[in-house]
Amino acid sequence: MKIVVCIKQVPESNNVKFDPVTHNLMRGGMSGRINPFDKNAIEAALRLRDAVGGEVALLSMGPDSTAEILRDGLAMGADSAYLLSSRAFAGADTLSTGYVLAQAVRQIGNVDLTLLGRQAVDADTGQVGPIMAVNLNQPQATYATQLTANGNQLTVVRDLDSLTQTVELPLPAVITVRAEANTPRYETPLHIQQSFEKQVTIWRDTDLDLDPEKLGQKGSPTVVRKVYAPEAKTRAQTALPSEPAAAVDQLLVIMQQHGLI
Amino acid sequence: MAKQWTPQEQMLLRMTSEFTANEIAPLDLQIDHAGRYPDGLFEQVVATGFLSVMLPHEFGGAGFGPEVTAEVVRRVAEGNASMAATLEGHYKTVYQMLKYGTPALQAKYFPTAGQRIFGFGMTEPTGGSNPMSIRTTAVRQGSDWVLNGNKIMITNGGLAEVYCVLAKTGPQELSVFVVDQDMPGFAFGKRENFIGLRGTPVGEIFMNDVRVSDDYLLGKVGQGGEIGDSAHDDARILMGAVLTGIMDHALGLATSYAKERKAGSTPIGELGSIQRKLADIAMGRETTRLLYQNAAALHAAGQPYSEEATMAKAYGSRTAVAACDDALQVFGGYGYSRDYPLAHLIADARALEIAEGTVEKMRAAIAAAELAK
Amino acid sequence: MTEAIWIVAEREPARINPVTFQLITKAKAIAKGKKVVVVLLEAPDQQFEQAISEYGPDEILLGQNVAYAQASDEVMAGALTTLAREYQPNAVLFGATPLGRSIAPRVQAALQTGLTADCLDFFYEDDLLVQVKPSYGDNVMCEITCPDRRPQMASVRPNTFAAEKVAGAMPAITPVEVAQTTGPQGRVVDETVRVSHATGIASANKVLALGRGAATPADIANAREIASRLGASVGVSRPLTDLPDFTVEQQIGQSGTTIAPDFLLNLGVSGATQFIVGMTQAKLVVSVNRDAQAPIFAQSDYTFTGDAAAFITALKQRMN
Repeated sequence: MKIVVCIKQVPESNNVKFDPVTHNLMRGGMSGRINPFDKNAIEAALRLRDAVGGEVALLSMGPDSTAEILRDGLAMGADSAYLLSSRAFAGADTLSTGYVLAQAVRQIGNVDLTLLGRQAVDADTGQVGPIMAVNLNQPQATYATQLTANGNQLTVVRDLDSLTQTVELPLPAVITVRAEANTPRYETPLHIQQSFEKQVTIWRDTDLDLDPEKLGQKGSPTVVRKVYAPEAKTRAQTALPSEPAAAVDQLLVIMQQHGLI
Repeated sequence: MAKQWTPQEQMLLRMTSEFTANEIAPLDLQIDHAGRYPDGLFEQVVATGFLSVMLPHEFGGAGFGPEVTAEVVRRVAEGNASMAATLEGHYKTVYQMLKYGTPALQAKYFPTAGQRIFGFGMTEPTGGSNPMSIRTTAVRQGSDWVLNGNKIMITNGGLAEVYCVLAKTGPQELSVFVVDQDMPGFAFGKRENFIGLRGTPVGEIFMNDVRVSDDYLLGKVGQGGEIGDSAHDDARILMGAVLTGIMDHALGLATSYAKERKAGSTPIGELGSIQRKLADIAMGRETTRLLYQNAAALHAAGQPYSEEATMAKAYGSRTAVAACDDALQVFGGYGYSRDYPLAHLIADARALEIAEGTVEKMRAAIAAAELAK
Repeated sequence: MTEAIWIVAEREPARINPVTFQLITKAKAIAKGKKVVVVLLEAPDQQFEQAISEYGPDEILLGQNVAYAQASDEVMAGALTTLAREYQPNAVLFGATPLGRSIAPRVQAALQTGLTADCLDFFYEDDLLVQVKPSYGDNVMCEITCPDRRPQMASVRPNTFAAEKVAGAMPAITPVEVAQTTGPQGRVVDETVRVSHATGIASANKVLALGRGAATPADIANAREIASRLGASVGVSRPLTDLPDFTVEQQIGQSGTTIAPDFLLNLGVSGATQFIVGMTQAKLVVSVNRDAQAPIFAQSDYTFTGDAAAFITALKQRMN
C-alpha cells in the first residue's frame, strides 16, 4: 500500500503574543514543530505499512525550513519526504492548500491512501483533508480511530463525538486521524541517523501541474481582515461573605432568586 | 566551550528528553518504591532503540559518538537515575566488546545488542581490591575454554543476557570471556537489595563448566586487567553523566520548591541560607558536567581519558551526595519523606561512591597518575 | 428570490443536534431581511422537520430518501452541493461538530468557495458575512470574510448561541428531490450512538466545576453529593482529567466541552484561558478560589476568596 501522510509545521506553543503598539501577531522567532495530530497520522500509516507492506511518503507545504519536521517524520520511520515550497503558495487558505497538496499526491502517483491529522493545532480547521478528497475525487473518513486494511478497501471507525460510525472505504481514499487512534512512536536513534541520509524532495510550483488561478492569495476565497486578542469580558464579581457558612447561605438565597432551587 | 551538537545529535537529544519526561520521569518514585521497573517500561526503552545508540552502523546500531551518548545518559538520569545506570552498564560492556572482541564474537552478539542488555562481571563474593584474588577460572580443554566460578554485583545482572566475565587463566594471569544465559552451565543467582538505584537490577551469575571457544576470549590471554580498567574508564564517564543528571534532578526540584514555598510572605528562594545551597548544588553539577564531558571528548578524539574519567566519578559522586543532601534540606521535612524523591536521590548518588571502583581506589589511581608525570 | 441563509440540519440517528436550533435563532437575529432556510436531509420516516419548525425558520428544504438513513460524507456533501448549485444561497452554515466539519469542506471544495471553521460569532456587513473564528487554541480571534465567492460558508461552534423556540411558527416546507450521488463513496456499515456519560455536562442546567484547588478524594466525594442534591453535573478543569475519577468527557474548556448551564459553581478552578472559553455562555457564575487574583473571578457574578474545601464542606452541611 502506498500511503502519503500530509503534515504541517505549527508553532511550538499556542501562547502567541500581540505587539502592544501595532496589535499585530508576533510570530517571529518561534520555532516550529510537527502538528501533534499529524504524528498520529504518521503512526497510523506506519502500522498499516507494517501490517500489509508498502511505503509511507510524507508531504508538507511551507517554507524550506519545513524540511525539519519532514526529517522528524522520517526519523519515526517514514520512507520518503516531499516538500512543496514556493512563493506562489504564500497566503493560501484551506481551499488552495488542499488543491496544491492534492496535485502533489497525483504527481507522487499510485497513492492508495492519503492520511492527515484531524486538524492543525494552530488554525484548527480540519478542512484540508476533505478538500483534498474532493480534488482527488476520493471518498473520505474523518476523525478516524481505527483503520483496518481489508483487501482493496479499508474499514474505518470514526469517532464523531456523539456517534461512532464504521465505514467501508474503497481505495484510494483520504482519512484524517484522531489522537485516540494510537500513541505515536518516538523517533529511534537509528532512524534519526537514517533520516539525514534521505533526500527531502523539494517541489516548486513549476514542478507540479497547477492552475495558477488556484494558488496563493489569488486562489484563496477567504480573507483574514482582522486579527486581535480575545476581548476579556468581565462579570460583576460581587463578593460573598468571607465566612464559608455565611457565604453558602447567601449563595442559596441567590440561587432561589434565580429559580435554581 | 559548550559542545555544538550536530542536527542528528540534536534530534536524538530532543527525543531523549521527550521520552524521559513522558515515559520515565513520571515513574521515578514508583521505581524507587517498587525496587524494579514497572512492566513494559524497560521494553519500551529497548523498542525505542536506546540500547543501540552507540553501537556502530555496521552492526545495525545508530553509531552515535561517546559525547552525545553520555549526554543521553545524563538526560535519562534527570528523570530516573536507575534507568540511566542500566544504560551505562550496557554501553560500557558493548564498548569493550567493540574494542577487544573478535570479528566472530561481534558478528554473533552485536546484531542483538540493540534488543538485549549486555553486562560486565568482575566482582566476586570473596572480593578484595586485588583482581588476582578472584576465583573464577578459565581452563583450556582441547581448543575450548571451560569456565567455573561466580560473579556478583553485576549491573543489570539478571536483566542482561550476555556477560563479559573476568577469569583467571593462570596463577597471575587475567583474561575476559563472553558468556550468555543460553550456554549450558550458566545460571543466575540472587539480586541485591540496595538502598539506591533501586530500579537497576544488580545480581549474580554462576558458571558451572561453561564451555566456550577462542572466539569468546576478549582480547588476548592475559589482557584481562587492561580490559577491566578500560571498562572502568568507560563506565566512569557515563557515571559522571548519571551523577550530573541526578544533580540536575535535585536542583530542578529545589529551585521550584524555593520559588513556591513561602516563609511568611517571602519565597524561601529569597533567603540567603537557601540561595547558598542552590548555588552549591549548581556549582557541583556544573563541575561534574565539565569533568565527564572532557573525558568523553578525549575518548571521542582517541586520546587517553582514564584519569579524567576517574576524576569525573570520584569528584562527582561525593559532590552529588552532598548536593542531594542540600536539596533535601531545602525541602525541610518534606525532603525527608519517601513521598519525595530527595531521599532516593541521595542513595542513588551514594552508589557511585562504590561501584566501578571506590572513591578511595580512584584517588589512589589519580595520585599515581600524577606522581608518574 | 430573496437571498437565503442556509442552515444544514445535523441529524443524529434519533434527533436533531441542538446546534441546528441554535443556528436558526442566531441566523434569524442577524438575517437583515434574508430568508433563514434549513436544509434537512433525512430518511422518509424520520420527520425531524417538526422539531425544526418550532424554532421558526422561514423555510425548510426537505430531502427525504432512504439513502439518508445512514449516509456517507460523500452522499451528504453531494446532495448539498447539488442543492446549493440549484438554489444559490448567500450563506451556508453548519454546526462545527465532527460531522459538520467533515461535510462542509467537501461542499466548499465542490463549490470552490470559502469556508471558515469553528466560528464563535458571525454577522452581516451589507452582503458580507463577517465570521469570527478563534485560532492558536483560542488565544487569537480572527475576522474572516469571503468577498468574491458565494455561498459564504462557516461552521459554528455548538453551544455558542442560545436556541429559542418561536410560538406558532409555521415555516414553509419545500420538498426537494436530489439525484443519487455518484462517484467513489464510502459505505456506512454501522452507526452507534455513544452512551453519553450519566453526568453529561454539555446539556446540563447546573454544573459544579472542580479544579486543582478542589481535587482531594474528599472534595470530589462531597462535590458529587452536593451535585446530586442540586441536580447538577460535575465537570472539571483540564488538570483533573489526569485523576482516575475523570476523563476528557467531564472536561470543561476548549479541548473539552463547551457548556452553557443556567448555573455554574467553580470550585478551586483558577480559570486558564482554555477553561474560560468553555464556560462563557453560563448564565449565573459563582467561583470559589483561594487566590484573589485568580482569572476565574473576572468571569464570575459572585466570588468567594478562600479555601474551596471549607466552602464545599459548609455547602454540604447546609444541604443536609
